[in-house]
Amino acid sequence: MQDFLELAVSATASGCIYALVALAYLLMIRPTGIINFAVGEWAMVGAFGGYLLLSKFQWPYPLGMAAILAFMLLIGWATERIAVRPLVEKGAPLLAPILALLGMLVVFRESISLGFGPDPHQVPEPVDFQYLKYFMVGTTLAVFAAAWFFFEKTLWGKSFEAVALNRKAAALVGINLSRVTAASFAGGAAAAGLAGLLVAPNTSAHYLMGVPLAIQGFTALVIGGVGRVEGALLGGLLLAFAEQLTVRYAPLPAGYAQGVPLLLLMLFLLVRPTGLLRARGT
Amino acid sequence: MKNAAALRWIVVFAALAALPFFLSGYYNDVYRKLLLWIALALSYNFLFGISGQVAFSHFAFYGIGAYSVVIFLFQLGMPLPVAVLAGILVCTAIALAVAIPSTRLEGFYLALATLALAQLFIVVLNEGGAVTGGTSGLVDYRLPPVFGVRIAGPWYTIVIVVLVLATYAVLLRLDRSWFGRACRAVRDNPEAAAAMGINVARTKVIAFTLTSALAGVAGMTYAFVDNTVNPPIFGLENAFLLLFMVIIGGAGRHAGAVIGATLLYLLPFLLSPLIGHHHALVFGVLVVAAILLQPRGLVGLWRSSR
Repeated sequence: MQDFLELAVSATASGCIYALVALAYLLMIRPTGIINFAVGEWAMVGAFGGYLLLSKFQWPYPLGMAAILAFMLLIGWATERIAVRPLVEKGAPLLAPILALLGMLVVFRESISLGFGPDPHQVPEPVDFQYLKYFMVGTTLAVFAAAWFFFEKTLWGKSFEAVALNRKAAALVGINLSRVTAASFAGGAAAAGLAGLLVAPNTSAHYLMGVPLAIQGFTALVIGGVGRVEGALLGGLLLAFAEQLTVRYAPLPAGYAQGVPLLLLMLFLLVRPTGLLRARGT
Repeated sequence: MKNAAALRWIVVFAALAALPFFLSGYYNDVYRKLLLWIALALSYNFLFGISGQVAFSHFAFYGIGAYSVVIFLFQLGMPLPVAVLAGILVCTAIALAVAIPSTRLEGFYLALATLALAQLFIVVLNEGGAVTGGTSGLVDYRLPPVFGVRIAGPWYTIVIVVLVLATYAVLLRLDRSWFGRACRAVRDNPEAAAAMGINVARTKVIAFTLTSALAGVAGMTYAFVDNTVNPPIFGLENAFLLLFMVIIGGAGRHAGAVIGATLLYLLPFLLSPLIGHHHALVFGVLVVAAILLQPRGLVGLWRSSR
């Protein structure tokens, strides 16, 4: 029982990380339909921000965290400006910005590896190590509560929903499409950066950490469904529990456990591409 | 007319096949790998550029081909022709099994499903124990003699030249047949294609299976270039590189695939004195620039400048 409780806590904590990455995808997919695979790289940038400000410059944690989130908003906004908006304005097919963002993924990764070298870097934890997992869970829940409040209760959030449901109609009632798109990318980058910052004390900041996180986050998104914010959280938790239960109890070599999210991703894409939770109004 | 075309093929073959006899060992190796990249880029261009399927599994099929021929030859002791046929069969069977369910996926969802497949392939290689040699892969084998003759050095390079030209010939023929036009129609507008009587699902499945099998054959040829197969070679890095080659060269055109593969394979040799191992940064910038400024790639740039 003790064993299972420990597993449950650690699965919940890593599930929260997946959920934050899934939320980052969701923020961008809903209004634009763009799957931005560079979210993993954004998480990595957040982790390296943590190394730079908190380890190297020894900033106090809340200040460093705020600075990193502000920087991530800027990164997301700039990415949208460079790689997405020109294509949307030209009326290019949806695949064009997705592929351009894959190019940006490589640019982010190589810039970080050029600046920080290939070795992993330690990132300090915000609270005593034994409470770290609870801090991760608490922060994630706060973010999801805020996201839920934003989409359900504020006019801005409603305009996001409107764009998600029908772009043309949303534009006709006076919603500024390019502003919504820019905001969704900024928000996505902040959510992904936060995931990277939170996971970094456990995994260290490393320039190759992005793609695995991007795959796990996308799997969480596909499990939960792209329609609703709660889906990202549910998907993240389910994925983490599936992973950790397999590692602990299934009679498989440990290496095969890495295959669990991959198998789940393929399975859900093929069998239930809408995810477990259905979108409102469909 | 027909003779002129045949003559052109013979001249190209002669030029490509003569080159390795003038190259030293190191440059011969570079040349072989360049040819293999061109073969891969050509078949990937048919899948991505002409059929419009964004798949990250192409390089994994290259790996499946390489591993299966080595396993069939040296773990199961099959003779070479049987091993090659069995390897093609394995690639085709896996490609079919993947294509039938996953080509239903729209746009980038196919990319992520095939990405998961490619990653799963690496997991299986790492955990395969004695069969796949685990993380260190399979080493210390040699191409068995063909009709009592050992093919090595520049002569093996000629085998690769034949592979590239055969791949090109098959793809060119397909592209100019009704099937190639069906693929383009499905890429540009699946509804209209279906209305014209094209079986969209079947067209996608055939394109995926065929190009994946071609990648598998290229992989079998690769297995005897370095005489080693190991998991890192077939990782995600190269799957991205392949996509970038086709985008930068010009998706949908055979010349684009050749130009993109040549440029991106040779660029690191020129760049490494300047920026070391960070040439991928330049690739990323080039891809973004290509999509933003000239979506038809370098081929499009050349055509519009005339």
